[in-house]
Amino acid sequence: MLALEIQQLHKSFGSNKVIDGLNLVVPENSIYGLLGQNGAGKTTTMKMTLGLLKIDRGTIKVFGENVHYGQTPTNQHIGFLPDVPEFYGYMKPQEYLELCGRITGIPEPLLKPRIQELLALVGLENAKKRIGGYSRGMKQRLGIAQAMINEPKLLICDEPTSALDPIGRKEILDILLKLKGKTTVIFSTHILSDVERICDHIGVLSGGKLALEGNLSEIKENGRTDIIEIEFTSKEQLSQFRELDATKAYFSSDNTSKLSVEGSRLYIETESVKSTQLHVLKILAEAELVPNRIELLEPTLENLFMEVVK
Amino acid sequence: MNEISQLKEYLPFLIPVVILELALAITALVHVLKHPNYKFGNKILWIIVVLFVQIIGPVVYFLFGRGDE
Amino acid sequence: MRPYIAFVKKEWLEALRTYKVFIFAVVFALLGIMNPITAKVTPQLLETFMPEGMQITLPEPTALDSWAQFYKNVGQMGLIVLVILFSTLISHEITKGTLINILTKGLKRSTVIYGKLTLSILLWTASFVLCFGLTDIYTRYFWDVSILHHAYFAGGCLWLFGVFLISVTLLGGILFSNSYGSLLTTLLVFIVLMILGIFEPIAKFNPTWLATQNLNLVQGNLSPDRLIPAILSTIMVIVLLNVISVIAFNRKAI
Repeated sequence: MLALEIQQLHKSFGSNKVIDGLNLVVPENSIYGLLGQNGAGKTTTMKMTLGLLKIDRGTIKVFGENVHYGQTPTNQHIGFLPDVPEFYGYMKPQEYLELCGRITGIPEPLLKPRIQELLALVGLENAKKRIGGYSRGMKQRLGIAQAMINEPKLLICDEPTSALDPIGRKEILDILLKLKGKTTVIFSTHILSDVERICDHIGVLSGGKLALEGNLSEIKENGRTDIIEIEFTSKEQLSQFRELDATKAYFSSDNTSKLSVEGSRLYIETESVKSTQLHVLKILAEAELVPNRIELLEPTLENLFMEVVK
Repeated sequence: MNEISQLKEYLPFLIPVVILELALAITALVHVLKHPNYKFGNKILWIIVVLFVQIIGPVVYFLFGRGDE
Repeated sequence: MRPYIAFVKKEWLEALRTYKVFIFAVVFALLGIMNPITAKVTPQLLETFMPEGMQITLPEPTALDSWAQFYKNVGQMGLIVLVILFSTLISHEITKGTLINILTKGLKRSTVIYGKLTLSILLWTASFVLCFGLTDIYTRYFWDVSILHHAYFAGGCLWLFGVFLISVTLLGGILFSNSYGSLLTTLLVFIVLMILGIFEPIAKFNPTWLATQNLNLVQGNLSPDRLIPAILSTIMVIVLLNVISVIAFNRKAI
């Protein structure tokens, strides 16, 4: 079952095409990171999914049901955390959650325990003051609590960590991680480390459609170029290594490898990492050359991101 | 003599009016002192307005001067 | 029904904690007491400030003077306070974005409008009754009230006009999403109605009659059935305004 399925979505604001034929699928029980630069259309996509904005063209389905603009029944499956959640400053968290609970139709006897459970989840069980005086981080945490009140099958968070300091960010990510497996979470962000920390699926929004999408580990696997990096102690040591007969012999016989040099670092791009690495080590040992460091380069999400949004 | 009897006549008015005005002024004053963030103006301005502009002063404070919580 | 009750409760809490209830209560209570006192004191004040030797016999004030004060003060000051207090009713929520959370929880947009209307009409009704009651009690205490006609009917007319103004202010807030738009809409509607009032054939349907003819009713110069057209048209306009409010709010991007 797909938690969210977007097909051929279009949306323009005046002459500005924000979403241009977007296709996006979010599998159930995944934590989906929606990446994109500022203005890429992340918030617009989320607002359309919630029926808060009109769709120009295309369809959005939440657990197989179509989303309509305005009053949409699909919202009963969704919990939403806006980028800067706004509350009634004169209410206490308990009162606010009671209001939310009654609106979504949680039966009265279940309401109080549910609220206690949620306040404990987000670490606000001792917050008794009015919301008006809360810090951004506390409001963000209360935002998650209100979004989770109806035990939604899908939680949508719009840039939940952007406005927060490192401690606040960690708290929010930890809470989201706790939800893994129970709820499908979609969250947008431009902070890549947040995505690496908790997401299993990602989509990169660029030019109104997804430039890259899929399972995060698969993406990293496919993006792997298999480069061995050798950092020598000096440029002299590097050229010494390259002048060795054994080196020349090996790399002339193996034409799939490519060599490149940057300062005292040598990069070997190869298809057979293991054997290349083994040979290089042998050559180094025989010539009694000890470099500073030999390592396999991992593709970073940042590299992948930069590549697709270029 | 005439003055006193007149005052007596108006007492049923004066007492509630004075109580209401005081209640308004004091509530506003407490709020001004406890919530020192205003949409505009400063603490001293609002203390003066609330205490010395009868009725209108506190009402204007609550409607326009009171900052968000 | 439960979401509606929860929302009305929220509106009540808001009115209470943002001091709206307090302001309403105190302002309208003061107005209520001030009406008879002004009627009573004005002639005596005039006498005191009269230049020495000048003799003018001022007529002794009556219950009518007290009610004249009521319709002057509540019909102006009272209605202005009402409109100002309700100008932020929905505009504030739209600009701040506080409705996003609860609308995405499945609260019907129409429920938001009905909830806000319910509480504002209740608050206006309570304030009006308080003010009316105080003026009534003091007036009875000081004067002979047998000279008055249709006192309650006249009051009811002004109350209905207040409900009309609330509906206009609410619609203005939805259309322009800010309190100034809300205030200006109400002002504009009021001016247009005043201008329309000049045209004799349609004047009797004009809602402003409910706020301008009250004293004529109390004096017995106007019979209540002359106001029936204005009452009916006002009720119809109120219903229409609120239907438009719901439609406009349903179409609004939030």
